Amino acid sequence: MNADPLKQYLKSEGATLVGVGDVTEALSKEIIHLNRGIAIALNRNLNRETIRLLARLQGLSVAWLSARGYRNLSIPPDSDRQKDKLITRLYKLFCHKTAATCSGLGWVGKNGLLINRQYGSRLSWATVLTNAPLDADEPVRESECGDCVLCVMHCPSGAVKGDHWSISNPRRKLVAYDKCAALKSRRQTLDGKPNCGFCVTVCPYSRNGKREKAGK
Amino acid sequence: MADEARKKEILEKLRNGVIQYDEDACREGANEALEAGLDANEAIFDGLVSGMEEVGRLFEAQEYFVPEILMCADALYAGLDILKPHCKQMDLGLKGSVVIGTVEGDVHDIGKNLVKMMFDVAGFNVYDLGRDVPLDKFVDEQLKTDSDLVCLSAMMTTSMVGMPTVIEKIKAKNPNCMIMIGGAPTSKDLADKWGADGYAEDASNALKEAIKMVAFLKKLRDEKAAK
Repeated sequence: MNADPLKQYLKSEGATLVGVGDVTEALSKEIIHLNRGIAIALNRNLNRETIRLLARLQGLSVAWLSARGYRNLSIPPDSDRQKDKLITRLYKLFCHKTAATCSGLGWVGKNGLLINRQYGSRLSWATVLTNAPLDADEPVRESECGDCVLCVMHCPSGAVKGDHWSISNPRRKLVAYDKCAALKSRRQTLDGKPNCGFCVTVCPYSRNGKREKAGK
Repeated sequence: MADEARKKEILEKLRNGVIQYDEDACREGANEALEAGLDANEAIFDGLVSGMEEVGRLFEAQEYFVPEILMCADALYAGLDILKPHCKQMDLGLKGSVVIGTVEGDVHDIGKNLVKMMFDVAGFNVYDLGRDVPLDKFVDEQLKTDSDLVCLSAMMTTSMVGMPTVIEKIKAKNPNCMIMIGGAPTSKDLADKWGADGYAEDASNALKEAIKMVAFLKKLRDEKAAK
């Protein structure tokens, strides 16, 4: 089933990137029948308006697929999950990075974030899982970080280990999240802003097109 | 009292809201039910729960899968949150209090939560201990609350083996307490062997069993009403 009409449609409605991945290997048995992951990305910081837009794009995908008789499960952005709902329990069975890498939209960088060739980590993601037999894009199998160690050097908590991600070893622990979390909670108490964001801002891929503006 | 056509329309809305996992429709239906002066218990049982019964059927027929079940349950809860404060205390002729939890070593509690939800709907007093519950906690909680029923759930064989210990301890301290077990590795035979009073088929059928229980309670309620 050709996925282009859906991709074009979502892009015409404002999506920056749309990809379709075969995510079969990443699924637990509760959702094994939903083996296509539609990765939707917006080239915006994650805020309320971004979440609203992502939710709208997910809604459009679900409507598009349902109208053709397929099943879907929308996995909302990580920061938009209502804890008291039962369905929220299923969301953690699947992560947006899997859909993104399987759809060929990027790899997981040394910084543990999804990195896209064009936009780096400056993307906000949402996923729709479906059983529609959409043609899958070619996945990204290996990290393209190369020798770059900027995020390793600049991480103030020393959490980034500098290892390479690979699709064959998706659960490898690239970042010592306990160190990162400890720094976040310190920053939270200091000025109420937990995220330092160095691992995004120093990444050459995230700086694409930004370098000139900043006057180097 | 609302006229029959309006009542039917509202009940249908609640029922379909659950089946089509439409939370907004369930909320709307629940508010309409209250405005129209419908009995809250009737709206729950003949609307929301009736929808969940159909969901159970769709699940058995493999029309629905776990994600749909959870979304339907969320829709049911959306309506229930509005209707529950207006519920009359149901007299089922049962005292209706239950301690429920997933036994030590097991973090799988989707089935347990669905069973719990149905108990909630049925007006039971539910003491939910959550998942990965230490065995003695069941015994202590039962003694503390003097519940009529203890429900033990497990999805893994390795954690299921803790069940007979709990059953034995509870029965020793309180022989009148009823115990029901459920979850993928359990069976009627095991329930009998371990001296449990009841058995809910398996993890994927926990919902069906819960529905059966509620249907049974519903029957009791109807019978009582008929008298």
